[in-house]
Order: sequence, then structure tokens, then C-alpha cells
Amino acid sequence: MHHSYISRRRLLQNTATTSAILAGSTVGAGLPQFLLNASENQDADSNDNVLVVIQLSGGNDGLNTIVPFKNDRYYAARPTLAIQQDQTLKLNDELGLHPAMTALANLYEAGTLAIIQGVGYPNPNRSHFESMDIWHTCRRKTQQRDHGWIGQSVTTALPTSQSTPILHLGAEKQPLALAAPTPRAISIRSLEQFKLRGNQQAIAAAVAQGQASDPAEKNNGLLDFIQSSTSAALKTSTELIKSTAQDVKRNGVVTYADTALAQKLQTTAQLIDSPLNTRVYYVTLDGFDTHAQQANAHQVLSGQWSNALGAFIADIKQRGHQQRVTVMVFSEFGRRIEENASKGTDHGTAAPMFLAGAAVKAGVHGAHPSLDDIQQGDLKHAFDFRQVYATVLDWMEWDSATALNGEYPTLPLFL
Amino acid sequence: MNNIDPAWAWSQFKSTNRQPWGLTQAAHLYRRSGFGAGRGELQRAVAGGVQRCVQQILHDNQESQSFQDEMALMTRSIVSSGNLQSLATAWLYRMLKTTDQLHEKTTLFWHGHFATSADKVQDAFMMQQQNDLLRKHAIGDFSEMVQAISQNPAMLLYLDSANNRKTHPNENFARELMELFCLGEGNYTEQDIRELARCFTGWEVRNRAYRFNKYQHDFGKKAFLGTQGELTGQQAIAHVISTPAAPLFIARKLVQYYVMDEPAAPEELLAPLAKRLRKDKFQIRGTLEMIFRSNLFYSEHAVARKIKSPVDMVVGIMRGLSIKTDLTQVAQRLQEIGHGLYFPPNVKGWDGGRTWINSSTLLGRSNLMHALIHSETTTFGNTSLQAHLQHNRIHSLAHAATYFSDMFCAVPLADNSKSQLVASSQQETNNTEQQFKSLLHQVVSLPQFQLG
Repeated sequence: MHHSYISRRRLLQNTATTSAILAGSTVGAGLPQFLLNASENQDADSNDNVLVVIQLSGGNDGLNTIVPFKNDRYYAARPTLAIQQDQTLKLNDELGLHPAMTALANLYEAGTLAIIQGVGYPNPNRSHFESMDIWHTCRRKTQQRDHGWIGQSVTTALPTSQSTPILHLGAEKQPLALAAPTPRAISIRSLEQFKLRGNQQAIAAAVAQGQASDPAEKNNGLLDFIQSSTSAALKTSTELIKSTAQDVKRNGVVTYADTALAQKLQTTAQLIDSPLNTRVYYVTLDGFDTHAQQANAHQVLSGQWSNALGAFIADIKQRGHQQRVTVMVFSEFGRRIEENASKGTDHGTAAPMFLAGAAVKAGVHGAHPSLDDIQQGDLKHAFDFRQVYATVLDWMEWDSATALNGEYPTLPLFL
Repeated sequence: MNNIDPAWAWSQFKSTNRQPWGLTQAAHLYRRSGFGAGRGELQRAVAGGVQRCVQQILHDNQESQSFQDEMALMTRSIVSSGNLQSLATAWLYRMLKTTDQLHEKTTLFWHGHFATSADKVQDAFMMQQQNDLLRKHAIGDFSEMVQAISQNPAMLLYLDSANNRKTHPNENFARELMELFCLGEGNYTEQDIRELARCFTGWEVRNRAYRFNKYQHDFGKKAFLGTQGELTGQQAIAHVISTPAAPLFIARKLVQYYVMDEPAAPEELLAPLAKRLRKDKFQIRGTLEMIFRSNLFYSEHAVARKIKSPVDMVVGIMRGLSIKTDLTQVAQRLQEIGHGLYFPPNVKGWDGGRTWINSSTLLGRSNLMHALIHSETTTFGNTSLQAHLQHNRIHSLAHAATYFSDMFCAVPLADNSKSQLVASSQQETNNTEQQFKSLLHQVVSLPQFQLG
């Protein structure tokens, strides 16, 4: 059933190729030469699907993101935080988006947004760190989990060919989701910063020599790890230095907001439009741990990711990549149904996920989680997040069983 | 790891031919128990023997009164300026200059353990007050420290507990108290969190100070972690610390910080440390002493089995080469590569280990070192790098390569690597000072240097 979209995608790919050729004079213009070089020798198909992950860190309040405005229980549980029906941006007769999310509402209107309701996992853990690790590795604490679902998928699907299959844009530590048996993900704070000062040739040679020579210290996994990470970083950086054009020109016409997330997504759009052929981009937005005075903070954050995503989808469309780019948005958990006495909410469980892009089957998937049939004061999940991952990996045409630590049935989330 | 005999591991290390006490071991001890040392100090440590050296690190290195006064004056003026960024500058200065290196290293440990960010607190006074609190208790009584931090205004603000009312208590502090401060995830239930949160109701911050609001405190009976009663917040904390998971949790974190990033030590290996902690009524000093005197600490399981934190990396090289520079810039750059003092990334602090390293931070580390070495404000022992090395009887690039490797690399550089680095420094420039600087920058950009 779910395979039908693949043939459709193949069909669309031809169209995408045509438009890329038509736009040939502008593709990659102004991008660093190293990025252009990086893909020169690659056999990969530049029309491969691309996944962009937006991680909302801290636990996004699903109930105030997708508001069940017909539900009295919602208003009873949240005397100060509930969003009134007339404030919401209506999705249907029962549900409305947070009023700050006009851009998301527009995506929904345009048929490029899928909302998957009630996503979680059995025996939910309400620790930020443990729950995030579960989302990143698809494994519980008791299991060996050195690698992330994305890192593992890439290792399985693209064992050798690409130099930068995964790109993480941000100054925070690299998300565990990207960890792989040999590091495959490049983290970049900004393109301008990704350049080594000093005698990089000599350093690269010394690193290579250290790696090749029989190390006196045997079995030091940390040293191996730093060596391969340094090689990968220097390789990409050396190519950057070779280039003369280090400044990325803003060659799109879409205006992005002046927020960190929007800027990262703008860079992502430019890189997708370059020959780099990175398959997964990963960005995060922190601050969703709203235990106190939630209303204002959540409004600002909701507006930020909604606006950034809206601009990104418009940009990607304008650049002709809308069919091959899907954005996935998640958070490590939702929040408690009842607000607390600090006008905030504590850690909860199931919450919505979002997929955006022209390839997705738009609409609201699944029912809103019940506010009456609950567990430990929290929402029960209807979908396991690994079903969503499996569906996305399937769309990427990548195997999912190893990365997800099991077979999960896919969902009809793509056209 | 699983076949390390705990009895052997924690027995006292004795210098033998097979396992000598030499410059490598002394450098290892100084890197782990503090922020490294200069050549002279290491040589004195080797001559004095390991037992005397550990004794000194643990008991005899107290700061002078004049140094404490100097630091108090410095932090007071920063606090009155309100500049949050400058707090880190003063702390870096203290790490560089203090005689009590272990104390500062352990204060940094607790800053990561009871992580609180100025980004949210936005108050220099409260942030410095917390820093002083961590320093006061750093190698003292852990129970007292937890009680104090629980009423610390910066912490209460950071964990949203400044307004905690008895109806619908805020669970954040109760959760982190068990998950991150005392027990570790998996040693409590969600129900325990809800009950524990009730004990902290009425704990408030007013006018930058802790206040107990009896009208908002839930005086009812609570039941958690196998106890019940009309427990106050203080009694609740004491009970949390009395459970078996607590000493194991602290022992695990100490081993990870001082001994090895990975693999995670099995419980059997941690048990003797946990026992010692319990026996010492959670006085930290004895456990640290056990660590620094142990076979395990000087074994292959520990040497070169940690990745230097950015602060370790920078302060270590500055102490090792008597570098003076503009510390404001250093503090700023440390923040850029993920180690902003007073600005931990989240309540869990810094994970350390492999998470320090990615392509961005690797280039960032190298670039930070480049800026440090080449800055116009930087001096080495108040002079040039070349003159400083000559003062230490290092006259050639080849000799310098060995010197840098011995001093700063937990895994020594191979001879052919060193000659290659020397050759490329000579190719790069004819200026001898620049050659030494280039050589130094190359060494500190190598993987071997990143190991602590």
C-alpha cells in the first residue's frame, strides 16, 4: 500500500530534474566552492529525498499547540493557560492551532502539513534526558545504545559513498540521533566559522600519520573516535579553504525571520539547493520546558518554529525541491494535562508530531488523545514515534529495522 | 572493564619498575586533580613521590588569605557591574592562579552537577553566590551542599521553584533532585516525584533570598522512596540521600570526572567508593583521596581515557606555559565551543566525554588555541615562547616537540610525527618565534592532545 508513493516519486523526479536544469544558472550560486567540490566525485543522485529534522527541546506542550477547543476537560485543567476557541486557528470543528502559528495554518491550508496526533511510546519516561535518548536511539536505558536512529540508518543505507550525509547546524552538542559506528555527521555552527586557522595541511598530515601508524596505545576507543572526527572535520574544512567564495549569498527571495532557527533553516535551504547532496539536516530549538509562566514563552517559541518552517517550505518550493524535501518536527514529550501553580505545566507524555512538505499526505492523522481515558494524569499515545520514523525512512528508501530496533508498521503519511 | 578486580583497583598505588611514578604519571595526576602544572612543579612532584604528592594536593594547598581577598574583591566588583560574562573571566583567573587546584577542579565538577545557567537567572549576584556555595562545600559534606543548593535562589529560579504553591505543586525541582543531583534516573517513580514535590511547596525566592512561606507549604503526610510522614523539605532531602542509590550515583559521577569517560564503571567497581562515601557521611575528600591513591587511577584504564574539557584544555596549556592573555576573550571562545562557565547547556550540565567532540568543536578548539598562541596580548612567562622555552633549557624545535608532547599529550606523539611537525614548522616560516608557535599550534590540534 505505502509503496505506491515511490513510483509516484520516481515520476516526479523527472520533473524535478528538469526544473533543476532550467534553474542551472542559479543552482549553488554563491555557495562555498568546497560544497560544490564535495559532491563532484559522487555517484549519488542529486534528486534523492532529503529529511530535515526540527527538534523542539524541553517538551513541547502539545495541548496548547493543537488545542481541543470543544473539550470542557481541557478548560477545567487549565484555568489560566487554556486558549479560547475564538483565539485558535481552526483546523476543523474540534481542533485549532496556537494563535501564534499562522504560518503553520497556512501550510495546512495549502495541503503541505501533516499533523500526527498522540505520538509517544509505551511506559513513557518523563526525564528530558532519558526520553530524548529514547527518541534518539529507539532503545531503552537497559539496552546498548551508542548509535542514533539517523546515524544507524545512514550507515546501513550509504555505507561508504558520501562525505557529508548528515549535517547538524547548531552550536549545541551533536544530537545522539546522529551518532554512528563511524562518525558520519558534520556539525557546523555557521558556514563562515567552519574554517581552520593555522597550518591545516601540516595538521591534516600529522593526523593521518597518527591514524596510520601503529598506535602505542591499543584499544583506546576515544583516540580512534577523535582521530576519525578530526580527519572528517579537516577534510571538509580543507576543501573550504581551497575555495575563494566563502560567503554564502542569499540567493533566495523568501524572507526569513531574524531568529536562530530561521537562519539555520535558510542555510539548510541553500545547501539543499547546492550539489552537496546531504540527506539529513538536523536543527534544534530549545526552551520548551515551560514549568512556570508558560503562556508568553510558549507563544514566542510556537511563533518562531512556525514562521521559520513556513519560510523554509516557501523557499524550498521556490527553489524547486518541494517534492523531495520533508521536514519532521518532534519533541521528547508533551506536558501534563493540568497546569501547575506556577502557571506552567510539568512533564507529560504523548504529543503531536508534524511532517511538512509537498510529499506529505496533508491533514490531521489520528484522533486527539482523550483527556478522560488517561494514565497517571497524562495522555495515552495512539501512535508509536517509531511508526513515524519507519514511515519517513521508507520514504527515504532506507531500511528501518536495524535503526529502529524492530519492525514498525508504516503510516499513510505520504502521498 | 568487567574483569577489573575492585580490590586491586582501589588498593594503594605503589611505584614499581613495571608501573613507575614518573613525569607521565605526575602530569596525569595534575591534569586530573587540577588544571595541569608547569615543568618545575611536575619535576618536584616526581622527586617527592606519589604519596607525598597526593597528600599535598588533598590537604596542603590551601589558598593564602591575600589570594582569597583578591578574588573576593574581583568578584565583588564584577557583581556590582552586573556583567554576567565577566563572571567567567574571574573564575578562569582563579583556576589559573589558585594553589588549591583540586578545590577549583571539584567546584567545576559541582557546577556541572548542580548546573544553573546565568542565561535564565540573569543576575550576577545570585550566580556568584551559587558559585561561592559550590566552592565552600566542594570537597566537604555533600549532604550539606544539597541542603544549601536546594535553598539557593539561583537554583530555585533556574528550576522554576521560586513560586511553589501547595495546590498543584511544581514538580521540576523534585524531579531533578532525584534524577540529576542525588540518585540517577530509574531509582524513583513518578509517584515519588509528585509526593516529593509537595515537601518543597512554600519554598520561595523574595528579594534575591530564600523564604519559607508557611501558608503555601503542604504540611500533610507524604509517602515516597519507602518512607512516609509529615516531612519538611529538609527531611525529604535527607531521606533521598539516605537511600542506597545515592552514594553509588555520586561515586559513578566522580569516577567519570576524575578517572575515565568510558566505559561506564560497573556497580561492583563503584561499590567500595560508595561504601567509603557512606562511611565518611558523604564527606567528599576521603573518596577523592581513595581515587588519587588507587591502582586504577594510574592504570591503562584511566590514563588517556578522558577527553579534555575545553576549560581543561585552555587552563592546562596556560598553566603549563605560564601564559598570560586577555581572559575575557578566552571565556568568550570557551562558550563558543560548548563550555561557557556560568552558562551550562541545561540542567544536566556538560555530558563530557565524546560529546565534547564534533567537527565544529574540533575546529573551534584548534582555532581557540590559534588565537591564544598568536594573540598580541599573549605572553609566555612574561616573554616570548622561544625565550620561555630557553629558560626551561629547550633550545631546538625537536626538543620543544618532545616537551609539548610530554607535558600536554596523554598519548605521546610518535617520533616520526614529531619530526614531521618540526619540518612543517620550518617550512612555514623563517622566524624562529613563529616556528615555535606554529609547532605548538600543530601539537594542540592533534587528537593525542585532546585526551586528558
